[in-house]
Amino acid sequence: MTSESDARDQLIDLAADFYDQFADGTIPEMELPTRTKSNIQYDTESGVWTYGDRTSTRSANSVRGARKLLKAAYTIEFLANQLDEDRSSTLRELYYLSESWDNDEAQFSSQDESNDLVEDLEIVTGVTREDFHMRPEESGATLMGPLLIREQTRRGEREIHCQEDVGAGGYQIPNNPDMIEFLDDDIDFALAVETGGMRDRLVENGFDEAYNCLVIHLKGQPARATRRITKRVHDELDVPIAVFADGDPWSYRIYGSVAYGSIKSAHLSKYLATPEAQFVGIQPEDIVEYDLPADPLADSDINALESELEDPRFQTDYWEEQIELQLDIGKKSEQQSLASRGLDFVTDTYLPERLDTMGVL
Amino acid sequence: MTSFQSTIGDEEGIAEELAEGQREISIAEFFEKNKHMLGFDSGARGLVTAVKEAVDNALDATEEAGVLPDIYIEIEEVGDYYRLVIEDNGPGITKEQLPKVFGKLLYGSRFHAREQSRGQQGIGISAAVLYSQLTSGQPAKITSRPKGQSRAQYFELIIDTDTNEPEIKADEETTWDRPHGTRIELEMEANMRARQQLHDYVKHTAVVNPHARIELREPGLDEPLKFERATNDLPAETEEIRPHPHGVELGALIKMLEATESYSLSGFLQEEFTRVGKKTSESVIDNFRDVYYGRELAWAPPKAHGDRDVAAAVAEAVANKGKAATTAFSEGVAETVGSNDRLCRAELATIVENVAETVAADTGKTFGGTVRENAVDAAWRAITGTGDDDADESDADDADESPLVPDAYAVVDEATSTRKDDATVQAMADALARRFENLDGDAFRVTLDGLERLVADAATFVGEQHEATFGETARENVVEAFWSRARTVPDDPPKVSAIAGDRDAAADLLEAMRSTDILAPPTDCLAPITAELVEAGLRKEYDADFYAAATRDAEVHGGDPFIVEAGIAYGGEIPAEGSVELLRFANRVPLVYQRGACATTDVIKQIGWRNYGLDQPGGSGLPNGPAVISIHVASTNVPFTSESKDALANVPAIEDEIELAVREAARDLKSYLSKRRSMQQRREKQDVLGRILPEMADKVSEVTGRPRPDIDGALARIMNNVSVEREQNGETVTLVVENHSDVTENLDITDIVSVEPTDLSDGTVVDMDGEWFVQWKPEVPSGDERELTYTIDGDADFEVSVGGVETEKLTVNA
Repeated sequence: MTSESDARDQLIDLAADFYDQFADGTIPEMELPTRTKSNIQYDTESGVWTYGDRTSTRSANSVRGARKLLKAAYTIEFLANQLDEDRSSTLRELYYLSESWDNDEAQFSSQDESNDLVEDLEIVTGVTREDFHMRPEESGATLMGPLLIREQTRRGEREIHCQEDVGAGGYQIPNNPDMIEFLDDDIDFALAVETGGMRDRLVENGFDEAYNCLVIHLKGQPARATRRITKRVHDELDVPIAVFADGDPWSYRIYGSVAYGSIKSAHLSKYLATPEAQFVGIQPEDIVEYDLPADPLADSDINALESELEDPRFQTDYWEEQIELQLDIGKKSEQQSLASRGLDFVTDTYLPERLDTMGVL
Repeated sequence: MTSFQSTIGDEEGIAEELAEGQREISIAEFFEKNKHMLGFDSGARGLVTAVKEAVDNALDATEEAGVLPDIYIEIEEVGDYYRLVIEDNGPGITKEQLPKVFGKLLYGSRFHAREQSRGQQGIGISAAVLYSQLTSGQPAKITSRPKGQSRAQYFELIIDTDTNEPEIKADEETTWDRPHGTRIELEMEANMRARQQLHDYVKHTAVVNPHARIELREPGLDEPLKFERATNDLPAETEEIRPHPHGVELGALIKMLEATESYSLSGFLQEEFTRVGKKTSESVIDNFRDVYYGRELAWAPPKAHGDRDVAAAVAEAVANKGKAATTAFSEGVAETVGSNDRLCRAELATIVENVAETVAADTGKTFGGTVRENAVDAAWRAITGTGDDDADESDADDADESPLVPDAYAVVDEATSTRKDDATVQAMADALARRFENLDGDAFRVTLDGLERLVADAATFVGEQHEATFGETARENVVEAFWSRARTVPDDPPKVSAIAGDRDAAADLLEAMRSTDILAPPTDCLAPITAELVEAGLRKEYDADFYAAATRDAEVHGGDPFIVEAGIAYGGEIPAEGSVELLRFANRVPLVYQRGACATTDVIKQIGWRNYGLDQPGGSGLPNGPAVISIHVASTNVPFTSESKDALANVPAIEDEIELAVREAARDLKSYLSKRRSMQQRREKQDVLGRILPEMADKVSEVTGRPRPDIDGALARIMNNVSVEREQNGETVTLVVENHSDVTENLDITDIVSVEPTDLSDGTVVDMDGEWFVQWKPEVPSGDERELTYTIDGDADFEVSVGGVETEKLTVNA
């Protein structure tokens, strides 16, 4: 956690760097680690993947670079003011807000651009987005399980039990999960589930109660808050984490970002990634073993699988074996394909078997 | 067919009759039949052609006289006809020449000369006269005033179409305001539909003759078109040259052989051809000997103590010369022979000759002609082992193997690859030796063609008998091996008169001439416009942003030297739409018609213009864009596709040079365009950055709460710029010049100061009515800086101007 004034000072320092570069007659520039999969490396100490030594320079030397730096200057001003006034805004708001700036050149042309810029600023200043008071849109990811928490809200502190005090939808993870305190729990393990349908199936079948399981809904590619809370559950409550996703390359990436950290936010891997998280399935092996209904791999799937083989995060014996098997059988399956064996198959058979094999149960 | 045959056979003298009939075709009929070839196929075109011919003549006449051409062209409507008037300031034409020059088809001084000139056939202007006469019935009206004469001569001239003879209808003295020159007036049936071509022709003539002043009046013009002179230098005078040995054809060669006064072939070659001196003529004659007589195959002399003994053979052939002389002679011959690797019969004869002389001098015994001949025969038999003497008989036991085989085997083995097995080589040597023995005479004389046939024949034989392939390469190698080991014969070449009378010998001579390396013909017979003037011509008539030109070195095609020049103008007022304008010139004459059939067009179309920065849809064909490409081919004999001289024929040697010339000029265009493009990008970048960076600077100063930083240094660095910045510290004024570009910049900086500057660091100061001009010319290497200082007393106004660097690259803050 960085204090608000620290965060602000860091931003002003960056602006001052630009100022000094101008004053020295040199070309203003900003150096960043190269954010590609060829420049992430395994940090043995923390067990997560972080950026390597290669850097890229955003320099005012080119029209493109100059525009980026101009936008950075405007964004710095906006964030500094926001911190001054103790307010917050969403990434999307920043994108629209740029429209109100007096300078056409400084306006963002897409939200990806503004998101990237905020990430750049995080990296250069060493301050997280949350400490800039920048929020993503609500991801809607939820928790369900025997966990009692205390949340700081704008309307004061709330104590919530994530099974008893919530509806069927579960407890919604706030944008800054560091505002939550874990009070009490009866959790044996946490299961991070990719799809809403499967999460609902588990809750309906009472899986969380039956196995003292905290069901974390990832909602596709998990937001930072979801990954952060997953890490906190693991680290603070000392329970194993299992990731349950579809059996396709995109879902392996979801697991990868939970366990190893994502390429785009590798600067925050130590804060977000849970290297101990294990992959439940659907494994390519399961497609064969359980004879699950499957779709053929599309060209884009094959490309994604091949690119994963080159991804340093997936260069383990387990993943190489699974990915090559999948390329071999040429099939992919969704979590819901387990329903072909009946609605209770997943909770009665598949998960207990898999979790047992993995040593979680 | 049979019926014709019989008819022809029946009537005697039909050929004579036909020939007579041909002679009776009148010149008018000839013209009528050939007018398309001569450029008079329509009224519109006839007018352009007549102008063209008259102007070409006028330019040639003035240049020959060393006068800067001043040409006046006027076209008027006269009832149903058009009247064409062309005036020049040439030397005029004498009364005697005049009817001939203007009146008789195929009269002209240039047809036989090898010299660059506009007209070549002498058909042009007389065809125009005839065309006017045939269409309007009016005579040509010619006024001529030779230099220095007080009055001019006026003629009316018609051509008698029956006899092809000019007739002078009027011949009187007149006055004319030009001090000298020629005026021709033709009336003809015509129209002005080809006005554009006419204008093009005149304009292009002006482009390619920058030394000429031309004025055109025609009914469609309110103002006369005037083309002024761009240079006062006449084109270099051209020299007439003799034909080049590589440029004659058989018929021409035979004519030359018949006409020459030289007696010997060597004399003929040196007298009648350019670039042939004693040495070259010897090479030609040696080559001729090889073609005409063939070479003599050379053989290795027998090893000492072998079966065949040269000394013994020679001694035996000599009688009654006494023992001492005979031994000296026979051993002398044997020794000299033995010192040769291989030798031919002619060489042996020389050896015998020399040894005979030496021995005669030493011993006083004369070895006469018969003795020498016998000695040569005997020694030759001993060397080759062939012939009807004992050696032959002793060899007869060896399964009648030819005595030439071992030698032939050595040559074949060396000439063929190691993969050939020994049996094949042996068989080949065997077959060859047998064939060599069958050659006429005992000197083994064979021409290269004969040798090739012989080897091919032997190879076929070996192939059939031994199922071994003796491929083309192997055959060629074997031929080459024997040919290079054969010797040119010493026989004198036939006399010129003999060759002239022998078509085959003449063909051999031609082959020998062509196969001899001979220096390219001299080029002083050509008058290129020069790259400089090609550019000046374009500059004069096209208002463009960029000009480039290239002149190639002279090359030769078929013995005629030629030079290709190319020029390119780009941008400016040249219309950007559609394809580029292509100007074609041959010997300074614009080619107006048949663009599509012209070699120049073909070459331009196949060049990849996108490489040179021009738009070329589909990557081939005429490029698009605001450009003019001009191509000039100067030659003693420009190959046209037809008599009307509208299009260059596709001669590969000329096409290659055209391409090289155009590419040379196009390379300059490319670097200009890419520089222009990068300047444009630089300007755009400068515009954008010039807007963004101050805003960024404002923003960071706002955020940090500091005053606005000075960003010029950063800007100059970003733009790879040269920045000039003024710093004033009390009385000291400093101009800091920083060079951020990647090349050394030579600047020219002038600072205008309102008070007198002193203590200049370097540079000069000039007082101009109370303003002081301080000048520096600093050289600043890439990445370096210079400080230029001076001192002033009190306040001053400054105004700095910086030259020597493109404004796009310059940031001045002073």
